[in-house]
Amino acid sequence: MRQGFYYNEENCTGCRACQIACCDKNDLSADVTFRQVSSFETGAFPQARGFHYSLTCNHCESPACVEVCPNEAMYIDEEDGTVQHDDSKCIGCQYCANACPYGVPRYIEEISLTHKCDGCITLRRNGEQPACVAICPMRALEFGDIDELRAAHPDGVDKISVLPDPSQTTPSIVITPRKAALENGYRTVVL
Amino acid sequence: MTNYLEKVRETSAMSRRNFIKASAAATAALTATGLTGCANQVKTADTGEAGPNVGSDGRNLVDGTWVSAACWHNCGGRCVNKVLVQDGVVVRQKTDDTHEDSYDHPQMRGCGRGRSQRQQVFSADRLKYPMKRKHWEPLTGGDKSLRGIDEWERISWDEALTYVADEIKHVMDAYGPRAIYCPGGDDIFRTLALNGGYTYSHSTSSVGNWAWLHNYGYGFIGLEGNDRYDLFNSDYVVMFGSNPAWSSAGNPSWFYKHLKDAGVKFIAIDPFFNDSYDLLDAEWIPVYPGSDAALLLGVAHTMLAEDGEKGLIDWDFLHTYASGFDAESMPEGADPKENFMDYVLGTYDGVPKTAEWATEHCGAAPEAIRKLAEVMGKANNVNLFSAFAPGRIINAEYFPAIFATVGLMGGHIGKPGNSVTTSSNSWAANSRTDMFVAGQTGLEPLPNPIDDMINDVDAWDAILEGKYLHTGMTYLFQPGEVRDIDIHIIYHGGLNGGSVGTEVCSLQTKPNLNKGIEVHRKVDFVVTQAYTYNTDARYSDIVLPVTTEWEREGRLFNYQKEAMIAYGKVCEPLFEAKSDQQVARELAEKLGLNPDDAFPISEKQQYFNQLATAALLDETGTPQPVATITQEDIDAWGVEGTPQEGLIPLQQWIDQGVFSVPRSKDDAYAACIGYAAFIEDPVANPRPTASGKFEIYSPTVRDMFASTTRENGVASATPVWQPILDGYEGSFANWETKEKGPYPYIVYNPHYLRRSHSTFDNVGWLRNAWAHPVYISAQDAREKGIADGDTVILWNDNGKTLRPACVTERLMPGVVGLPHGGWVDIDEETGIDRGGADNILCGSHTSVSGVIGWNSCLIDFAKYDGEPLMADIEKPQTVIF
Repeated sequence: MRQGFYYNEENCTGCRACQIACCDKNDLSADVTFRQVSSFETGAFPQARGFHYSLTCNHCESPACVEVCPNEAMYIDEEDGTVQHDDSKCIGCQYCANACPYGVPRYIEEISLTHKCDGCITLRRNGEQPACVAICPMRALEFGDIDELRAAHPDGVDKISVLPDPSQTTPSIVITPRKAALENGYRTVVL
Repeated sequence: MTNYLEKVRETSAMSRRNFIKASAAATAALTATGLTGCANQVKTADTGEAGPNVGSDGRNLVDGTWVSAACWHNCGGRCVNKVLVQDGVVVRQKTDDTHEDSYDHPQMRGCGRGRSQRQQVFSADRLKYPMKRKHWEPLTGGDKSLRGIDEWERISWDEALTYVADEIKHVMDAYGPRAIYCPGGDDIFRTLALNGGYTYSHSTSSVGNWAWLHNYGYGFIGLEGNDRYDLFNSDYVVMFGSNPAWSSAGNPSWFYKHLKDAGVKFIAIDPFFNDSYDLLDAEWIPVYPGSDAALLLGVAHTMLAEDGEKGLIDWDFLHTYASGFDAESMPEGADPKENFMDYVLGTYDGVPKTAEWATEHCGAAPEAIRKLAEVMGKANNVNLFSAFAPGRIINAEYFPAIFATVGLMGGHIGKPGNSVTTSSNSWAANSRTDMFVAGQTGLEPLPNPIDDMINDVDAWDAILEGKYLHTGMTYLFQPGEVRDIDIHIIYHGGLNGGSVGTEVCSLQTKPNLNKGIEVHRKVDFVVTQAYTYNTDARYSDIVLPVTTEWEREGRLFNYQKEAMIAYGKVCEPLFEAKSDQQVARELAEKLGLNPDDAFPISEKQQYFNQLATAALLDETGTPQPVATITQEDIDAWGVEGTPQEGLIPLQQWIDQGVFSVPRSKDDAYAACIGYAAFIEDPVANPRPTASGKFEIYSPTVRDMFASTTRENGVASATPVWQPILDGYEGSFANWETKEKGPYPYIVYNPHYLRRSHSTFDNVGWLRNAWAHPVYISAQDAREKGIADGDTVILWNDNGKTLRPACVTERLMPGVVGLPHGGWVDIDEETGIDRGGADNILCGSHTSVSGVIGWNSCLIDFAKYDGEPLMADIEKPQTVIF
């Protein structure tokens, strides 16, 4: 069983509540994000359109971070079906940060370790949803068995313009995309 | 590697150390110390030590007590916020999970600002101790030019309050109570009122020209719309200047998305194709800020011109429910030539307000205007919505009345699927037909014995020049009268209470900040109650640290239509902070007054009273007390009260943080249609006007505006177009030849998710999420040679400010978007603001009504050739002690 996220990009307004709920739950200092919302535009005035992407760990089936980790600090938790990180084994080499095509693992200088989304495993074991899912005012995020999420969202995709080729890692992600997110020629906008 | 990865790294912050090192260490220090009994023990943030643990590792995220915590800011919403407390330490937050989430019974989920609340409350830059400016001297002010840049010295509460009381007594003796200007602070108002009074401020503030709409017979600021379930009956939602995704955090955008998914079509009239319009796939009609009335006159003209062929106007409706549309429906005694229709047709002024005429003023294509006219026709079910923003415009006095009139022309009022209303804040997409009766604190009003009140738009000039135009309160105009005024003390009184509970921060949020700073360096004495080092505090002589709402007894918010949000105390006051009310009590004592005369009941009793008197209006409209209160509750609280039967046990309500009402499309609330009673029986249920109808032609409004004696614009009973002198028309040196003037760009100030007005601007997580750029259209950026991220200088005669550029194709060329509320950061050498404060550019102009025009302001801008800005997240926190 693999678990992952469903992201309804059509509903996402880029409000960044998920990003900040993640900072809160993980008690991150202000320059570190385990989930980060970025904003994009396509087209020209007055037909331009925007879209957002809320990036976090995809808990991939073939995770590049696990593959390159020299000390098994990044590992697949078979029971939970997610990719987890063991602080005690991490040597801060940042191989994982460099290998992940999504740029997910974050090196935290203060503690000389790399970290990332753990799918809020502690909260889920307590019967809660991941923090980002529970706060989303647009109800754009779901977490669960990725096969079930794929079945529940049969039109979902795992590739939009801003994302790398999913064949690299087989991410556990289902996206209902904005039309603009399937077009070529996007621009990043820092709103 | 992908482009995406590079972009993530660009926008994430690999090198953003300064701000964060401080805040991480501070959080660690506060966390280690705990929240109780921590006064004087917390180390400041400049230790540079390692940050806290991150992620789940080593942190217990499950055990502890969930406490309902305030989210008290004036953001437009009020949502559920809770904190997990372990041994007195807040470990994490959450939002509403009191029930399964559904459209019928939605959780009242909060936003990123609410979720970052603990970073504000427990931040190293909290104001911790009373302090005085190093070069301040009692009664003279000392070197007043150092206000804003001086050093601070810690003093005791006794010293601080003695100083403040001495200043007040001195000024009362020498000049009287009118010399004390207190623009905000509900609790200090009471002490000052008891002490003889103070000069107060008033303004159109957030609602702008919508303040006048009730005079035409509509509801307060036009607020009678339809319930969210009724909106599914509409074919179109037409939105002016609305961005609920940024301005109505919480559920409104989600409600709107349900409409879109159900097939309702959206049309957006706005200079910016914002994220709400994008969400709703709205058809965008770009217009210049302030030109909405011109666009609508073009729509009205088109409806008249095409009515014969297409049957767009509901004439029976117009004649039954409104006066003044045409000559035959003019009120007795009025000149029939002044009717609205003949104004639109240009019968007497020779200017038909055609779509082409409108295009010249608003920038929208004539075809788009004609299409909108067809949409507005009587065959469609239309909700005509506007946020307040298009009303916050100088010379746009008549936009709300024209807006409502176009709605009346198509008969879009008082019927299922049709409404004409302001739709913003928490009632966006769910009009605020009250479902609750607000709880009352039991504090009786304590009126100010002084009737001096200065319109915010005039305040700084008034204090500099020693005279002002007295016009009474904004909503209750009195004839204009120029009065002498001699202000010696400015008292910034902390949080406003009531259902608002908001930080006022007057210097930052009133127009013309540079002039405001000049004023703050002129008067004899400035004192501020604040919990962060906001702009008011910075430019003061004495600063009194107050608690946040998390350190107070609790409060009840009647702000959401379908929920009553209650919260209690999270922790004891941090450091030496006191509640605003405690400060007001102790100052009263220093002034030789009896504090019980200002506050006869305790803060706990006030909270209890609110809870005890709140009621749900049930489906028959009968008030039902919300709280079930037992004698044991009353004894445990140690308050006075009477047991009562309600809908939820008192403690359960507070523990849950919210009492919300499950809805259904078949409930009685869903059938609430704005103005329905009047439409059903206009004789039995008249509107509160002379005619008993909606008055399109309003002598009341004409006389009201004329009585202000203000210049710039016309006082007119007919709602008319006025050129926007601080907008598009004013951007030309010569309108006929279309030669641009010295300030050719219109700047407007969108509300921004990093802040609630100016509150939260010091919070790291939010700074990291929102960079606070200036939005520049791609076309203008190309012409100016500006690229994304370049530091840009924006200027006009009022000041200069810097921001990084966000170049966008979703903004109309000629318009610049500068987000509202950034904390001013003046470089004393250059005089340039490096903080991107909107009020550096917004000036002290106004028009006949005295409206504040935050969305009408002319500027020029260029790539800045001085020292580029660092990202806001890299700026050091200001930690004083």
